[in-house]
Amino acid sequence: MLYYIYDGTFDGLLTAIYDSYYKKDFPEQIVPQDNFTDNFLINKVYIRTDEEKSKKVHDAILQKISRGAMANIMYAYLSEHENAGIFILEYLRFGFKVGKIIDSYLADDRVNNINKLVTKVAREKHLLAGIIRFRLLQNNIYYALIEPQYNTICLLGKHFAGRMSDQVFVIHDVKRSYGVFYDKTKWFMSDIEINKDIVLHEKEIFYQELWKRYFDGITIESRLNPKLQSNHMPKRYWKYLIEMN
Amino acid sequence: MDLNEKIKILSDSAKYDVSCSSSGSSRKNKKGGIGNAAPSGICHSWTPDGRCISLLKILFTNYCIYDCKYCVNRSSNDIPRASFTTDELVNLIINFYRRNYIEGLFLSSAVCVSPDHTMELLLKSVKRLREEFNFNGYIHVKAIPGASNALIEETGKYVDRMSINIELPSDESLKLLAPQKTKESIIKPMGLIKSGIIQYQEEKLKFKNAPQFVPGGQSTQLIVGATKENDLKILKLSEYLYNSYKLKRVYYSAYVPVSNHPNLPAISRPPLLREHRLYQADWLLRFYGFSSDELLNEEHPNFDELLDPKSGWAIRNLDKFPVEINKADYYTLLRVPGIGVKSAQRIVQGRKVSMLDFSDLKKLGIVLKRAKYFITCKGKYFPQRSIPTNPVSIKSRLLLEDNIKTHENIEQLSFFTLFPDIMAAEGEL
Repeated sequence: MLYYIYDGTFDGLLTAIYDSYYKKDFPEQIVPQDNFTDNFLINKVYIRTDEEKSKKVHDAILQKISRGAMANIMYAYLSEHENAGIFILEYLRFGFKVGKIIDSYLADDRVNNINKLVTKVAREKHLLAGIIRFRLLQNNIYYALIEPQYNTICLLGKHFAGRMSDQVFVIHDVKRSYGVFYDKTKWFMSDIEINKDIVLHEKEIFYQELWKRYFDGITIESRLNPKLQSNHMPKRYWKYLIEMN
Repeated sequence: MDLNEKIKILSDSAKYDVSCSSSGSSRKNKKGGIGNAAPSGICHSWTPDGRCISLLKILFTNYCIYDCKYCVNRSSNDIPRASFTTDELVNLIINFYRRNYIEGLFLSSAVCVSPDHTMELLLKSVKRLREEFNFNGYIHVKAIPGASNALIEETGKYVDRMSINIELPSDESLKLLAPQKTKESIIKPMGLIKSGIIQYQEEKLKFKNAPQFVPGGQSTQLIVGATKENDLKILKLSEYLYNSYKLKRVYYSAYVPVSNHPNLPAISRPPLLREHRLYQADWLLRFYGFSSDELLNEEHPNFDELLDPKSGWAIRNLDKFPVEINKADYYTLLRVPGIGVKSAQRIVQGRKVSMLDFSDLKKLGIVLKRAKYFITCKGKYFPQRSIPTNPVSIKSRLLLEDNIKTHENIEQLSFFTLFPDIMAAEGEL
């Protein structure tokens, strides 16, 4: 069994794709090193991330397949699914063969596997755009905590930088210990390590209470349907929602 | 009165307005400004009744000079009353928006002092949000029936969506339950907004920077079950509003008993299933190419509560089935029960590269529960022991598929669990 092991970055993954073409390899799995559990049957190849190789793959996808295919594999990668790496390789091999019509092959497993992941990630991205809650801190930073199922917060930087253009904010992915930062001019990603207490702005609790009051006021008692509520907004996201606590 | 108390009173009074959609506008943020609109709309939370919160839906005031029988804010009703000041309201919006609680504002009001006075209050609030706070998020404002043309037109320049609620679907019902309102006072401003929107759309083609006017379109709401109109009458009215007034949405609100006036029906719970069927039919009008005459007629003026409108239509029109998945055009596919817009698009896309069979359909995510009675793939019916072809057996099969589940869940409202996909489509009400 041949395993490709990469550093977990998107560039690393694209490098792995490049190497598999160059060496005419058919790896069984392409996995990030953090998720890799060794056993003696596995034949390991460690991929050395190379931006040049990654760029070549990127350009080839745009030229020979489509911009949509590029977005698809990006989303599939962000799903962090255990088979994402190998699904992406199979999808791209097929794509390089059939070209931009690839996304019409909806019933083909190589396409279907990717589409399923894309749907999940896209859905979470849209949900998070709505349910992220900023708390205003004493130092005037708007700070949001979230534990997404997939690695989606990097998809949200542009959205929030566009609408909250005049406020400094941080969206903190607690599970992955990193976040989106925005400083009123540009947004970027960075690791987060919190080493001092977070102090709320004096007005913060006031607005949280108003929001809860509104949430209670707008509910129609004779239509209660908590199951529908949690269908739309799964309970795993409630932890950081002000109105649910 | 403190702000907490006001929010409680003024949101409680606003909640029977079902519209909460923030879609249809692509307003951009300005330099140094706050907010923009997402064309798809974004839901920010869901209340325990399963409805989404997208906009801060609130009344400016619930002091009302009118005494409409069906309305919780009628002047004769003994409830706590409150009014915002513009300062309070705009600060609230900005602070909620910055925390990402909301997508914008849906501002409505009871009629306080006079229609013009009320409309001025609403206009002043949205104007301050746009001009003073450089707020570019979504704003939906209610046009107050009876307010002057000039005020309504001026308001249209600042908002993304405007609506006037018809509430009662006929003249007689208006006379019975809202004698101080007339059909004219509702229809006239709708026409005004419609021509404003058309003018804006024409100018937009000529000038890139044409001043916006209600870019998210116009909507209205009809109350279902407070008066005796049948489904046919309601659906005909909606169809007329879509065709002649170019409305973006008609909302249906199951009447929630808020008064025991003798002119109102004595019901214990809102007719949610009927509301649901009307929404399904509304979707058929707007996205599936159906007309109201196909769905209902004078002999059958109401929807079968047990069967969705499309299945009902298909069973009455079995001569049009089965449909061959690999040949039928898009609009024919759309008419198959169980096949929605996304499914039809996927089928059309997928068959470009290969003939589809039933296992392919499953991979495309097509739900066959209903569809299998109405389609063939490569000339063959679904491989099941027997697929009935007469209306009575198809109907009983369809009901059986649902009833198996209804028994597990005796509660009357279980249709939410029966049709989660449809409810998801309506999620952003």
